[in-house]
Amino acid sequence: MKKIPFIVVGILLLILSSCNDFLDINPQGVLTQEAFPLTAEDALLATNAVYATLRNWHYHSGGFPILDIMSDDAYKGSNHNDALNTVGPYDNFTITPTQDGLDRWWAALYEGIKRANVVIENLAEIAMEPDLKERYMAEAKFLRALYYFDLVRAWGAVPLVETTHPPLKLERSEAALIYTRVENDLLSAILALPEKSEYGSDELGRATKGAAKALLAKVYLFQHDYPKAAQYALEVINGSQFYDLEPNFLDANGEQGEHGVESVFEIGAIAIEGSFGNQYANTQGVRGTPNRGWGFNRPSEELRAAFEPDDPRLKATIIDLGDVIDGVTILGDGSTPDFIYDADGNIIERECYNRKVWISGENTSTQFGHNRRIIRFADVLLIAAEALNETNRPAEALTYLNRIRQRARNNDPNILPDINTLNKDELRNIILHERRVELALEGHRYWDLIRTGSAPTVLGPLGFKQGRDELLPIPQNEIDISQGTLTQNPNWN
Amino acid sequence: MKKYDYIKRPKLLIMVLLFMTSATLVAQHTVKGVVTIAGTSETLPGVNIMVKNTNKGTTTDIDGHYVLEIVEQDPVLIFSYTGFKSQEIAVQGRTIINISMEEAVEMLEEFVVIGYGTVRKSDLTGAVSSVKADDIRKITSHNPAQALQGKVTGVQVTTTSGAPGAGIAVRIRGVGTFNNSSPIYVVDGVILDDISFLNAGDIQSMEVLKDASATAIYGSRGSNGVILITTARGTEQTTQPIITFNAEYGIQSLAKKIDLLNGKEFAIISNEIRPGSYNNVDAVPNTDWQDLVFRSAPLQNHQLTISGGSKNTSYYLGIGLLRQDGIIPKSRYQRLSIKLNNTYKLGEFITLGNNITLAPYQQQNAPNVTYSVYRAQPLLSPYYDDGSFGVVHNVGNPLADLHYSNNFNNGVRGVGNIFAEANILKNIRLKSSLGIDAAYNKATNFVPAYTVFNPDGTASQQDNPFNRLFKGQSENLSWLWENTLSYSLTYGKHQIDALAGYTMQHTSSEFVNLSGRDIIRDEKDFWYLGPVNIMDEISNMSNGVSADLFYSMISLLSRINYTYDNKYILTTTFRRDGSSKFAPSHRFSNFPSFALGWNIGNESFMQSLALISMLKIRASWGMIGNEKISYFDRFAMINSGLFAIFSNPDAAFPAATYGKSGNPDLRWETSTQTDIGLEIGLLNNRLTGEFDYYHRITDDILVELSTPGHLGNGQGQRVRYNAASVLNRGFEFNLRWREIKGDLSYSIGLLGTTIHNEVLEIGGSSGIDSVLLGGYLANGQAVTRSMVGLPIGAFYGYVTDGLFQNDNELAAYPHMSLARPGDLRFVDLNNDQVINGLDRSFIGSPIPKFILGFNLELGYKNFDLSLDLQAQTANKIFNGKDVVRPDPYNFEAYVFDRWTGEGTSDKVPRPSFGGYNYTPSDFFVQDGSFLRLRSLIIGYTLSETISGKLLLSSIRLYLKGSNLYTLTRYTGYTPEIGGYDVLSNGIDHGVYPISAVYSFGIHLQF
Repeated sequence: MKKIPFIVVGILLLILSSCNDFLDINPQGVLTQEAFPLTAEDALLATNAVYATLRNWHYHSGGFPILDIMSDDAYKGSNHNDALNTVGPYDNFTITPTQDGLDRWWAALYEGIKRANVVIENLAEIAMEPDLKERYMAEAKFLRALYYFDLVRAWGAVPLVETTHPPLKLERSEAALIYTRVENDLLSAILALPEKSEYGSDELGRATKGAAKALLAKVYLFQHDYPKAAQYALEVINGSQFYDLEPNFLDANGEQGEHGVESVFEIGAIAIEGSFGNQYANTQGVRGTPNRGWGFNRPSEELRAAFEPDDPRLKATIIDLGDVIDGVTILGDGSTPDFIYDADGNIIERECYNRKVWISGENTSTQFGHNRRIIRFADVLLIAAEALNETNRPAEALTYLNRIRQRARNNDPNILPDINTLNKDELRNIILHERRVELALEGHRYWDLIRTGSAPTVLGPLGFKQGRDELLPIPQNEIDISQGTLTQNPNWN
Repeated sequence: MKKYDYIKRPKLLIMVLLFMTSATLVAQHTVKGVVTIAGTSETLPGVNIMVKNTNKGTTTDIDGHYVLEIVEQDPVLIFSYTGFKSQEIAVQGRTIINISMEEAVEMLEEFVVIGYGTVRKSDLTGAVSSVKADDIRKITSHNPAQALQGKVTGVQVTTTSGAPGAGIAVRIRGVGTFNNSSPIYVVDGVILDDISFLNAGDIQSMEVLKDASATAIYGSRGSNGVILITTARGTEQTTQPIITFNAEYGIQSLAKKIDLLNGKEFAIISNEIRPGSYNNVDAVPNTDWQDLVFRSAPLQNHQLTISGGSKNTSYYLGIGLLRQDGIIPKSRYQRLSIKLNNTYKLGEFITLGNNITLAPYQQQNAPNVTYSVYRAQPLLSPYYDDGSFGVVHNVGNPLADLHYSNNFNNGVRGVGNIFAEANILKNIRLKSSLGIDAAYNKATNFVPAYTVFNPDGTASQQDNPFNRLFKGQSENLSWLWENTLSYSLTYGKHQIDALAGYTMQHTSSEFVNLSGRDIIRDEKDFWYLGPVNIMDEISNMSNGVSADLFYSMISLLSRINYTYDNKYILTTTFRRDGSSKFAPSHRFSNFPSFALGWNIGNESFMQSLALISMLKIRASWGMIGNEKISYFDRFAMINSGLFAIFSNPDAAFPAATYGKSGNPDLRWETSTQTDIGLEIGLLNNRLTGEFDYYHRITDDILVELSTPGHLGNGQGQRVRYNAASVLNRGFEFNLRWREIKGDLSYSIGLLGTTIHNEVLEIGGSSGIDSVLLGGYLANGQAVTRSMVGLPIGAFYGYVTDGLFQNDNELAAYPHMSLARPGDLRFVDLNNDQVINGLDRSFIGSPIPKFILGFNLELGYKNFDLSLDLQAQTANKIFNGKDVVRPDPYNFEAYVFDRWTGEGTSDKVPRPSFGGYNYTPSDFFVQDGSFLRLRSLIIGYTLSETISGKLLLSSIRLYLKGSNLYTLTRYTGYTPEIGGYDVLSNGIDHGVYPISAVYSFGIHLQF
């Protein structure tokens, strides 16, 4: 009996010596970052994750289509009071650095960049088929470029992150440096990415050589490097027989045209709220009856007027009350006035919706299945037209411009005649206008006005301030957290 | 006398047995005797008899008899009993010691349970408050911690909901962290986070350890305070089993209704908002939804205990049944508790024992109809003429919600330990205890397919097109192995008690969740899931098995208590904890404490002062930790729940990548607490007082902070850092007057606590946010903001200054574009002529500045009465349920006093169904002060003649009322608005109301 205490003490001493093992506990059911990605399967998972950001609601300019709302193409939309203080200020340029949505957009883009960096940084160490490894890296670079392109256009100089573990405090890099990063990523991606036709059918939606070239053309266009913009746009147009315009304009954004000939890069989505769907279209979907969404991004009267007489694209761009689409009658929102008039009785706003995000169905969740087109072939043609005109090749420019108009007129000889002018300035305006009506409500107009220097003239009456509104304010949260490492954009303090 | 014989026979038998055994064991020595009340022949049952400097002892039986076996050299027995003077008597070889106890208002020689031991109250240097069994049983609740409310200084207990089986929030000396601020519970040595399984009737005493000297022995877990619970044990060598039975039956009802608009008033207000809504306001129906939903509900609590012991064993068996129906239908809690405590002696050196609690429970949860009852428009009828449920716009018909609700939690919790104690050397005892806390819970939630129709026959939003079933199972297993060595030495005027220990603990838990739809029949017999039920993608999303808790801990602990001449006391404790929640480099931390005490009353120069019978001052300092964070926090994890969508038609492909960054540098939160206390007894201890000043700073508080966007963690993702400090300081007093005068005995207690809570630092050097938002309302608005200089979770919003009376006022003062005459005027605090987010400010604190308790105990002949009052002041409540109005809802009655034109009101704005006036502002902040009559008990003990005839030793009948009256200006159901989350405290989202209870009970002792 008397020995028992000593035995106990002995056991205790044994346990004491093994206490560090006892306290070494791994998380259950989840991997830690030291243990991923290690295999070829991991590499694929990590690459797919870079795409997952595209369906993050915040990736789409913070959730709300603020780019169109800031442009002359659209009003805030929805109910009058809905998001009046959060989204409303974008409509009349009264936003502040704490404005709702700015930080979300910023964070989503950097989240995408981090995911791209996970692939770019780690794949070198993984033993796997070299071509596939190159392709995964190239896909990640394409997407990193896509995310940085949004950042640099929206905010100019931003922190340049090229690793998964950047320092907590990081200063902004000049916009030119960001653009260089974007160009290098795309140039590198072009080398390794397959053509759209080279992917298997279940890989439609992955980054392609054509998408990288089209994006690069656009990146050069935004820097006014027209020769290179023209070069890469023409490579897309001529280098592959795959791309063409959908015969029916509605299919360019609609379900029939998903991953079709006009789709250069699009975001796949399944009509389920949550992990598989994309809320982008739900945000803009018809409000009320049928209940397809929140009804933001209401097409403006100016946009309506911008269409040439009888341009069929008007009805393919704007849903009006009373329209019947796929057998569903659009009745709209009961508490939103159908028309708003000015003192003289002119309509200044009416209840209408973005046709381009329509997808067949009668409830909100189906709207989550819309595949947003990030780059479509019509955009590439218009980039080519613009870049060729700027490089004094107007005749070639007209070919591509008129290809757009030809599809739009849909065999009706009485509308949308071919453009013939070779006057550079005139043609520049015509191409800008064509971009407006062809690509309306797809998030292009605001950038186009900024990069062409038209914004002060066109948007001035809406509240645009030259010298300030060319860039969005850096989110105040980010400045606060950085403790002064980040500086604010001009005239936003 | 018949009764005498009945008792005497077994007693004789035991004595014979005793005699035989003691004869064989030379070292053993048996002492027995009778304890009587001085000056009478009345015997005293339940007197505590301890062998000095050991944990050994016994209590007197019902006739005042005791038998105690002694192995020590030169033993000294300590006789103690509440309300009587303790006595120390040296045995000096005697076998019979009869003593008489002097009735005195004397409680100083009481023994107090402290961490890993007990100590004489006079030797105590820490701030420790005790609550005894009688007080614990006064409150009928599934959670015994409720009994601390208003009974212990420095403790605030808030009921988070009146739902049967709902949790409570316990805060000791303010709120010391942004994380889990709940104390830990130590039940017979087993460390737990929750004691809702424990039947109050099985508890012998609860000790609340408040200052560092008392809590530092619990190291990393003591920072929010420690509540020690000792459960009842049997007494060795009792002549017969002690059997008690208690039965209580009560009726609960809604203590207070919220004053809402009736149908006509609502129609009038609606017509002002939307003219022409109701043509004839006198003809609209009037439905009082509160009357339709709330009901009276029974509450039952029954308990049977059997305890006793023979020479080498003692036993206690308690069986309790608590059954509480909620005042909202379909809510119910039922718990059976089985308590078994045993002690076995193996020869002279070794004692074995066990404390086991097994508590199966069944709980039914009602949907949160409190919110919909508050919102439902009063002019809607609950049923259509055909008896089907009527539509309640925007809210859903609460009666239908209840009718179709089937939400159950059934499970069992088992907590217990087995222990062995051995005298390994002279003065040295080794104790080893293995504790287990095992819990299993099974959740079932079934909602049948149903539709509430609009009057035109179309489906309303309250539409569940197919039935749904959720099944969840969780299991939790925690084990704790504690080994302590204790040493005790008395040498002349020196006394040393020392303790050293080593403990290990591991906790793990796991969840299984499954949900599905289209169950073939609605009946309970079919509430199972087959593959066909879980096929659809939406159900699939929530299915899974996951780990929740998974961590372990190792600790070394020690304490030295030194007393010189019963006058000067020194206590030091030291604990070193290692936790798997922290990375190896930050894994271990040390928690020391020091305390001094001086029994001035024992100094010779004080003996001449007859007025002062006792006086002690004490001071303590120490560091304690908190590690209640997720064990995941230090890890940077992989987010594997992602998908990419490719292919045509679209198909999902799995994806995984880095999740948010982890923080491998996480360290313990550390509180540094200083306490200065004074204990005084006057007039032969008739009046006693205890005063404490406490000052606690918690540093390195673990807070989740925003990280820079460029780290790529994603919107709203936060990472935990050690990056905040909080101060709590205050003053506590506890005064008690006790007196016995002939047949009358009474005691009056008054206790109070002040709390000053202040955030000293957030973020700061880590480069992160300096404010923490919290208190999110249903519409996503955050109404609390914790920032430097303000209390934790302070309310934040616009300050109002009356109403805009006319257009001129509107033009003259900055306002939001939506403001019209009759609307609230938000003050332009920063004078920039613009009303925007920068004009918001601190509009109140949810933390009371002063908590007060008042207790009265009165006994006169066979009658007894007890009354408990509880009060708190200077805390605010944010009426969150009133603010969130996305749709037209009913209003509180104050809206009828609305502004209807210039000069009609400067308080209540023009009515609206939401919008501008419902921006979070001080308009919705109300005074949360209250005075509550928490319990009132009147009892009558039948005379011994009657009980004797029934072969019972005592019969007591009592009437009890709980929450009978509350004095408050708050308009909601109850001003006690609690919450576990310290950043969201004091916000009334529409909680399950607390009920008033009227009960009748009977207590029998055999």
